[in-house]
Amino acid sequence: MKTKLTALLLTAVMGFSLMACGSGNASGASDLQAVKDKGTLVVGITDFEPMDYKDESGNWIGFDADMANAFAESLGVKAEFIEIEWDNKALELESGNIDCVWNGMTLTEEVLSAMDCSKPYCNNAQIVIVPADKADQYQTVDSLSDLNFAVEVGSAGEAEAAANNLTYTSVSNQANALMEVAAGTSDGAIIDSLMAAAMVGEGTNYENLTYTVGLNSEEYGVGFRKGSDLVTELNNFFKASYDDGSMAATAEKYGVQAALIAQ
Amino acid sequence: MSTFLEQLPIVINSLNIGFLQTLKLFFVTLLGALPLGLLICFGSMSKIKPVKRLFQLLIWIVRGTPLMIQLLIIYYFPGLVLDNPIWGGAESGRFAASAVAFIINYACYFSEIYRGGIIAIPIGQDEAGLVLGMTKSDIFFKVKLLQMIKRILPPMSNEVLTLVKDTSLARIIALQEIIWAGQAFMKGSQGISGAIWPLFFTAIYYLICNGLLTVLFARLEKKLSYFR
Repeated sequence: MKTKLTALLLTAVMGFSLMACGSGNASGASDLQAVKDKGTLVVGITDFEPMDYKDESGNWIGFDADMANAFAESLGVKAEFIEIEWDNKALELESGNIDCVWNGMTLTEEVLSAMDCSKPYCNNAQIVIVPADKADQYQTVDSLSDLNFAVEVGSAGEAEAAANNLTYTSVSNQANALMEVAAGTSDGAIIDSLMAAAMVGEGTNYENLTYTVGLNSEEYGVGFRKGSDLVTELNNFFKASYDDGSMAATAEKYGVQAALIAQ
Repeated sequence: MSTFLEQLPIVINSLNIGFLQTLKLFFVTLLGALPLGLLICFGSMSKIKPVKRLFQLLIWIVRGTPLMIQLLIIYYFPGLVLDNPIWGGAESGRFAASAVAFIINYACYFSEIYRGGIIAIPIGQDEAGLVLGMTKSDIFFKVKLLQMIKRILPPMSNEVLTLVKDTSLARIIALQEIIWAGQAFMKGSQGISGAIWPLFFTAIYYLICNGLLTVLFARLEKKLSYFR
């Protein structure tokens, strides 16, 4: 009885793991066709001004949201925006709950290994946040070595902290990293420059914080399932809308025109 | 940046929407887990050995693994492994997956509390019932059930209060309950960014809700105190 039960359990476990292996390749069917069939392009986002955020009436706007709407329109479908838990973006894609991640996503090695991405469309940098009254002491990368940084787990900021041999603690998101600095539990944080511009300094809730050194610059891209034919489709769309100036016009609307990358 | 008084109505509105989702998950879980718990309880006390072992295995797995992992598995497993995302990405799908995970999880905890309540009733009552010619189900529903309910009220109130707070775990699959709503303002939402206070504000919602539940349970206990 016991050996039979063990055998049964083992078979079940092996069966599941086999299915897990198979699923990666099984999604070879056309994503483009699937999106057209269901009539919606499901876009995974987070609330992230100025890329994706809600206007007064609750509609998603922002540079990424407007571009996603235009891209969906070019395919003859509607864009549906769904807020996801950022840590689970690859899971959301692979499990088919969303069709793309379009949310100012930095093209890190982790991202590139987990998804097929569009060409980069926007520049960004990781910058160091410290309390304003200590900012003078930390204007160079060398001066940061004795600080304790808070960074978002799995973020480009974390990669930069590791690459520059800084001491750091990984927290769940960039907002928490800022809170660590405000609360004094960390000496500094490393976050996206686009986000820092909106959240830190005069007139924000973090008036006592400021940014100093810019670490490695990086690029934003849109992520799709591995092997998805939507990637080429979007690259073509980016090229067309860059050439006719509509991409630049949208970027200007949200103040990110300086960061735009030629397609 | 706008003042606190200007931000307050925006934040309260968001938290209310989030708390509605919290309450929805709470009530749906109770509605499903209370009866399912009784079923699992009967299963785990079954005279038929394989049935009993099967239910004990289920209780062991569900109580032995974190609810957060169960949520992730139930929501992502169909799409990832079976290539069939049955839940879909929309809010309704996330809620359904959360509800299923919570109902199974809480039913298993409830079943053990029920079992405790049932075995606490002296065997003499079963014997007396049999002598009087009652059937087994008559004995359970007409003699033992109310006594069981009375006995399990205090441990059940514990679980129910925990459930209110545990609903916040559903944010891992992006169910936008009240903690999610509060945290959104830390990152930046509706023109308010870097605000930490909305997150702490959510505690007041939980506190009031659990206060009401505590009063409710105290009343129930009092109502049932006419017999010992």
